[in-house]
Amino acid sequence: MALQRDVIAPKDPAVDMSPNLNLPLSPAIRAGEFIFVSGMVAINATGERMHGTVATETRQILAAMAQVLESAGSSLAKAVKVNVLIYSMLEYNNMNEVYREFFPVDPPARTVCGAKLCGGSKVEIECVALA
Amino acid sequence: MREILPVPSPGLDLRHHYGHHQSPAIRAGGLIFCSGMVAVNPETGEREHGTLTSEARRIFENLKLLLESAGSSLDRLIQVHAMIYDRIEYDVLNRLYRQYVPSAPPARTVMSVQIEAGFKVMLDVIAAA
Amino acid sequence: MTGQLSRTVIEPTNPRLNVSRNANLPHSPGIRVGEYIFLSGMGPVDPATGGRNLGPIADQIRQTLRNMEHMLASAGSGLDRIVKINIVLADIQHYDVRRELFLVDPPARTTCALQLSNGNGVEIECIALSL
Repeated sequence: MALQRDVIAPKDPAVDMSPNLNLPLSPAIRAGEFIFVSGMVAINATGERMHGTVATETRQILAAMAQVLESAGSSLAKAVKVNVLIYSMLEYNNMNEVYREFFPVDPPARTVCGAKLCGGSKVEIECVALA
Repeated sequence: MREILPVPSPGLDLRHHYGHHQSPAIRAGGLIFCSGMVAVNPETGEREHGTLTSEARRIFENLKLLLESAGSSLDRLIQVHAMIYDRIEYDVLNRLYRQYVPSAPPARTVMSVQIEAGFKVMLDVIAAA
Repeated sequence: MTGQLSRTVIEPTNPRLNVSRNANLPHSPGIRVGEYIFLSGMGPVDPATGGRNLGPIADQIRQTLRNMEHMLASAGSGLDRIVKINIVLADIQHYDVRRELFLVDPPARTTCALQLSNGNGVEIECIALSL
């Protein structure tokens, strides 16, 4: 029997990047046992791209990501793989120090690299989690 | 269920050696998700900077150790993000790469990105358990 | 408890779209594992000639997605079964161009800009469900 593919709509619309930034993506998709979360950047309560430091952007993103996963009946604790893109690897520690607060025990597998991001964001984070 | 895989060799745990807040590999839903791998000594965890070839070779050897200890193998690799510091080394990467996945290789996207600690290559992989 | 999943190589029905084989590259066009399909990054290859179809970025993206559609169809899947799509642009300024795609229930997505080969303006990879 084919696996189902479900779009996940976060309960709090403020964390939903797709309508706020007018982007053709779903915040997350559930497929079988996994939830695939789109790359998230920091947006503020009015849904605009929020430009801050790497630390503040990381914090905002992970808080929003937690909400997206919880809307799907999952959680950050069930994340299996996280990919972090930073605009510069020089800021790695700034990201890492905030990141560790959100994954206190048994953190997921992760890859971090430096890449050019859209809209002047300094950090973008995507993940795969268990449903 | 999500299972953190123990590393077969202490140097492979970058969390322990470098404070990278990540588990080296997680098994879930029949797949193994690995954290990005760079060239480190599998015993001591010491960074082994070199040519793209020497770094990639070390990564594949470490990956082989890791996957085999989890009951998988290089030929069960499904997807690889091959991250290189500059696309100019694309052919160099391929020469080494094909030695380790000679047949039915995994899906791959090569991405030229900034990698930690000045490494020339990093492999981000998903394998079948 | 999941038994060991089977892993098979996916190739496109149109051999001109088989860049892995034609360029003698060490990757498979795609891999199916269990119910999931992982595709290698694809660019704007011309399905009639096998050569690169470079032109305005919007055309490159459309061509790449048509090729992806063919690849997924060859594997018994389709664009609407994509759960996660990663878009790499050569130029981050082209970010705005992808809006016309995936209008209904779009997949999760991450976009960034990296160096690409052969003058390609875009490279797209995805994870999809089999039918």
